[in-house]
Amino acid sequence: MKDFKHIWAVGLTATLLLIVVPIVAFVRWDPQPVDDPWASLPDHPQHTDHSSLFQGPFSSGPEVTEACLECHAQAAHEVAMTAHWTWLGDPVLIPGEEQPIAIGKANLLNNFCIGIQSNWPGCTTCHAGYGWEDASFDFSNETNVDCLICHADPSTYAKGEAGLPAEGVDLLAAAQSVRAPTRENCGTCHFSGGGGNAVKHGDLDGSLSYPEEHVDVHMGRLGFQCTDCHQTEQHRILGRSISMSVDTANQIYCTDCHLPELHDDQRITDHVDTVACQTCHIPAGAVREPTKIHWDWSTAGNDWPEDPHEYLRIKGSFVYAENIMPEYYWFNGQADRYLLGDPINPDEVTLINEPLGGILDPLAQIWPFKVHRAIQMYDAIYNYLLQPQTVGEGGFWTEFDWDQALRLGSEATGLLYSGSYDWTETAMYWPLSHMVVPAEHALQCQDCHGENGRMDWEALGYYGDPMLWGGRQGASATGDGGGQ
Amino acid sequence: MRLRLPLHGFLATGVLLLAAGLSTGLLQAAAGGPQQASEDDAGPPLHPDFALLDEEGASVLESGGPVFTLATCGQCHDTTFIQNHSYHVDLGRGQIVPAGEVDGGRPWDISPGAFGRWSPLTYRYLSPPGDERVDLTTAEWLMEMGARHVGGGPGLLARDGAPLEELRPDSSNIEAAIIDPATGQAAPWDWRESGTVEMNCFLCHIAEPDNAARTQALQQGNFRWASTATLAGTEIVALVGEEWRWSRQAFNEAGNADAEALGIRDPQASNCGLCHGLVHVESETPLVTETCAPESWTTLTTGQIFSPERIADSGLNLADKDNLMRSWDIHAERVLSCTECHYSLNNPIYYQEPSGDRPDHLVFDPRRIDLGEYLYRPLHQFAKGQSAQGLLAPELDNTLRGCESCHTMEGTHEWLPYRDLHAEVLACETCHVPALYAPARQYVDWTVLESDASPVTGCRGVAASSIDTGQPLITGYQPVLLPRQDASGPSELAPYNLITAWYWVYGDPPRPVPLRDLQAAWLVDGEYPAEVLAAFDADGDGALSHDELVIDTPAKEEMIAGRLQARGLESPRIAGEVQPYGIHHDVTGEEWAVRDCQTCHTQDSRVTEAFALSDRTPGGVTPALVDDSGTALDGQVVSDGEGGLLYQPATMEGAARTYVLGHDNVAWIDTLGAIAFLGVFAGAAVHGGVRTFTARRGVRSRPEVRKVYMYSVYERLWHWLQTVAILLLVFTGVVIHKPETFGVLSFRYIVQIHNVLAAVLVINAALAAFYHLASGEIRQYLPRPYGFFDAAFLQAKYYLRGIFRGDPHPFEKRPEQKMNPLQQITYLAILNVLLPLQVITGLLMWGAQEWPEAAARLGGLAFLSPLHTLISWLFASFIVLHVYLTTTGPTALSSIRGMVMGWDEVEAYPENVEEGGEPQ
Repeated sequence: MKDFKHIWAVGLTATLLLIVVPIVAFVRWDPQPVDDPWASLPDHPQHTDHSSLFQGPFSSGPEVTEACLECHAQAAHEVAMTAHWTWLGDPVLIPGEEQPIAIGKANLLNNFCIGIQSNWPGCTTCHAGYGWEDASFDFSNETNVDCLICHADPSTYAKGEAGLPAEGVDLLAAAQSVRAPTRENCGTCHFSGGGGNAVKHGDLDGSLSYPEEHVDVHMGRLGFQCTDCHQTEQHRILGRSISMSVDTANQIYCTDCHLPELHDDQRITDHVDTVACQTCHIPAGAVREPTKIHWDWSTAGNDWPEDPHEYLRIKGSFVYAENIMPEYYWFNGQADRYLLGDPINPDEVTLINEPLGGILDPLAQIWPFKVHRAIQMYDAIYNYLLQPQTVGEGGFWTEFDWDQALRLGSEATGLLYSGSYDWTETAMYWPLSHMVVPAEHALQCQDCHGENGRMDWEALGYYGDPMLWGGRQGASATGDGGGQ
Repeated sequence: MRLRLPLHGFLATGVLLLAAGLSTGLLQAAAGGPQQASEDDAGPPLHPDFALLDEEGASVLESGGPVFTLATCGQCHDTTFIQNHSYHVDLGRGQIVPAGEVDGGRPWDISPGAFGRWSPLTYRYLSPPGDERVDLTTAEWLMEMGARHVGGGPGLLARDGAPLEELRPDSSNIEAAIIDPATGQAAPWDWRESGTVEMNCFLCHIAEPDNAARTQALQQGNFRWASTATLAGTEIVALVGEEWRWSRQAFNEAGNADAEALGIRDPQASNCGLCHGLVHVESETPLVTETCAPESWTTLTTGQIFSPERIADSGLNLADKDNLMRSWDIHAERVLSCTECHYSLNNPIYYQEPSGDRPDHLVFDPRRIDLGEYLYRPLHQFAKGQSAQGLLAPELDNTLRGCESCHTMEGTHEWLPYRDLHAEVLACETCHVPALYAPARQYVDWTVLESDASPVTGCRGVAASSIDTGQPLITGYQPVLLPRQDASGPSELAPYNLITAWYWVYGDPPRPVPLRDLQAAWLVDGEYPAEVLAAFDADGDGALSHDELVIDTPAKEEMIAGRLQARGLESPRIAGEVQPYGIHHDVTGEEWAVRDCQTCHTQDSRVTEAFALSDRTPGGVTPALVDDSGTALDGQVVSDGEGGLLYQPATMEGAARTYVLGHDNVAWIDTLGAIAFLGVFAGAAVHGGVRTFTARRGVRSRPEVRKVYMYSVYERLWHWLQTVAILLLVFTGVVIHKPETFGVLSFRYIVQIHNVLAAVLVINAALAAFYHLASGEIRQYLPRPYGFFDAAFLQAKYYLRGIFRGDPHPFEKRPEQKMNPLQQITYLAILNVLLPLQVITGLLMWGAQEWPEAAARLGGLAFLSPLHTLISWLFASFIVLHVYLTTTGPTALSSIRGMVMGWDEVEAYPENVEEGGEPQ
């Protein structure tokens, strides 16, 4: 040891260890945050500029598609495998059915414009394809996939009847403008569902094209495009709503990016199993534009003064509401669905897409919903909902004859029509996931609990305010509070 | 007091709370209060429909008379009991004493409660019987102040306890008279005509009491109808012209009032807020308030607002409002109501025996009164804390749920070093109510009057430049920290607002000048008389502005005093007082509470931040703190240099002699230490300079050197570990002592690192001490007593003279004797005096948390910290000296190299040199 030349290095190391190790061990260091939501976002590579890639001219939509396919050979096929093209999902098992069924916009009813069959030319304006104007549309012809609706600059492109490019659209300019889809691309269709801006979803409308940050924090403050959450691989766009889907395959969740236990306050963390993120972080729907909450078809056809927010001869009477307080129900991600021909009780409200779950379902959470209620037609003899033809020749919007409209519609849907129709109430549930406010504006304790709270505890199955009465574990087994 | 509840205690508590929750839910549903959003699910009300009875006991529907709550509610509840056992009702009436005999009160106070304790904010004085000049009589007190009184007590009984209605109207009896404000003459007051103010159950127990109607009835002297007026919001009664009429439709068929329609319920925060302060519990609408207007007492005096709403969502013109994303009060946000902490003292749900009274074998006593018994006789003595300004019922102080009743610091304050020490020294509110975001009264100057006969007031929390613009900008304010004398324990710093007041007093015994005399002195027919204008109107514009309305010269004081004397007031003079108002609400949680150590542990510490008291000093009178506030002004009231006053809190200079690390220091110690350090540095520089110079001149001996293995591995290790530890300790100590010079470093981590290093140092020193003792190496440090002084001088002479001449070292350095006598004596002092002292002072400073008594017995931080600082200066000086002296070996670096590698170079000595002798 005496002659070890490098004894100084040993000593230095020993000294430093004896200093540093106790410090690291005994000082109470702040725990490092682990939440990094940015890590889960898809990359946004610079999009190739297509402005010099096309010479044109293009005289039809499919010509553009063929041009796209010269380089993106698989693209149309990828789209053709998805619900944006087929308007049908993968076969799913619906409560009450024995076999899995493929359901989608193609074959389902809703309580807005009711259904697309026989109305294709009008409805397929929002189809991601060209020319679906009747039942004979060839889904295997992939050159009819419309690339431009998602990829072209929306100021250069619009669609018209049957999904064909609208009059006056310069297809070459549209093709040259293609880039990654923006909110406006998706919003061309998804903001205007139900026949107008903000009508349908309650949380999707034109205000989300360029929202202020307190309207939607992701799209406003953080500049998210739809595809940042609705992540897409090979044109398979993730995310779904129970308007058409009934299960949770390919679903997206807040927790895809955010840790569920990211709240500093333990009291809030205790809520995470029971309360959906959306409930506290989306205090209101339709924040900027009024959404439709009631549609009475039975008054259609009258010669009353018209106003797009109150009454139209072709559609009936409406009620719109802005800054709506959501309705709160248990929801475990799955829904029941009214299918064509399902029997109804005309004296009760028919639930088109009842959210499943209840207070005792461990997967269920309390979700905010926009509920759209309507009065629509049903077959008075066979007791099922009917779907009228509204668009085109013989449709209600030209003839104002319900009997004829229902007969034509029933032919298209394959339902038997007894000739006798009447009106019944329906309800449709739209879970809110957009218009997320910044965290500092989320609901506070007193917004749900206490005297002025917004929750109907007993309807949810609690004895009373769980702050005072205890949580869901105490709920009686006989009342599961799933009542809607 | 820390609660340590074992498991069964938790279970019992849990069961009781569940039962409590159920019964509260039942009670709330029973009370018919809207608990859920949907009204139709409220559940059956437990409170039955009941007849409204008048004074005679007949139904008001038949007699048309006013409702008499004592009879009405008394049908089921023991209202006599309730009325007789409530300090809200009594307000000090039962404790009236002659003027000046109230404990800690002013010379003219006659009780400790609002009925008898004078307040400069309201200014009116409830005169005792026998006073020559009467200001307020009982009747007028009820008219002026009755808005903040629930009724009963002084509203029903005379000061001696006799019913007021039995008093004959008599202008010489202040309890049966009223003073005409214009003439000052007494006129008789007929209680039988006006009625008396009975305890108003409706004010607190219905959902929407009409306080405005009630206040109006009181102000008109229409006492009999005050309770009825409270029901005006419920449609059961309405004011038709001048009369109150009952609405027959609102009663049911049996002639009873519908309890649900009336909204009978437990008191909620909005009820308490009618008198106590701004409460805004429904967060749909933005909260607004007048700036510093007296409508909400507690908001006026402290700026506290009880609301769950986010401050950023309020409607106030508040600076930086957008970033204030916190609720006004976190307990309001968590849906707590006032009665959850300020419960009725016999409420079986909340009642707990004080822990001091409990026997040791019991952590929780489950025995309770029956719910029915409670409903029959709810004790309206509410749990209270210990406020600076509410002095009634001191026997009930600290019965309320304090912070510790529900919260613990364990698990939540792990980030805080010296957590328990902080908890001892600071009240929870100090860090958890860091600021108030509403304006509060700062001062009221009654020595002058505005043209509308109101005093000149100042508001804090409002940007001064914006006050006159009509859009005052609220900035909020940080409350001052004063020691709060807790009944049981030592004082802790807690947040307060201070309201300073100046006013005229006259006579002996002193009395405040009655308002009508003050008004007569200042205003004639609503205008300033010429004499006053001449004295005060400095810019001659005919109006007196805020800055002109101040008595800042003896001439002005004499002029007004003269006018008061002309009214017959003897020896009028100016008096001043400072009243503290405790702050306990507007609590905030994690992100907004104080977490930055350098808020307090720095030169510009929050603890000693000056607190503005006023922009004036009328009459040059420095106000004194009132005597009964339970707190003390530990610092000084000083002039702010612009005619106003501010309060400068003190830490070390105050009576409590608090030492705040990073803020306080003893100046002479730092000066002395710096001199020592710099002196050694300079000395070493000079010495070294001279050595270099003389070496260059060639005067140098070249002794034979040989390598000797001087230091073992362990010796070197413990030496260098000691070095690094001490250097880092000195560095971290400097950061702790003056945190603002190293602002970028985290105070919290530096303190902990300092403590860890100290532990390393102590262990290292202890092991080294053991080694030295066990191996006998300790001998090296012990100088031979015989001939010590001669040897020491020899060595000293070498350093002062011989070394420059190149003389050889007087003493040979051998492994058996490595140190010369001077070294021995120095190290002895360092290792056996300084180091132990430093360790002990440090240990006690660290142990101020673990062993507070030991630290306190030695003078506490105030003594230990300066001593610790002094020794650290000495250590720093030693280090300079030590490092310099290592260069006195054969070569400049040979000693250091020796201490690193173990092999030192020593001069070879001829055989015949005696140890310690000159070479022969």
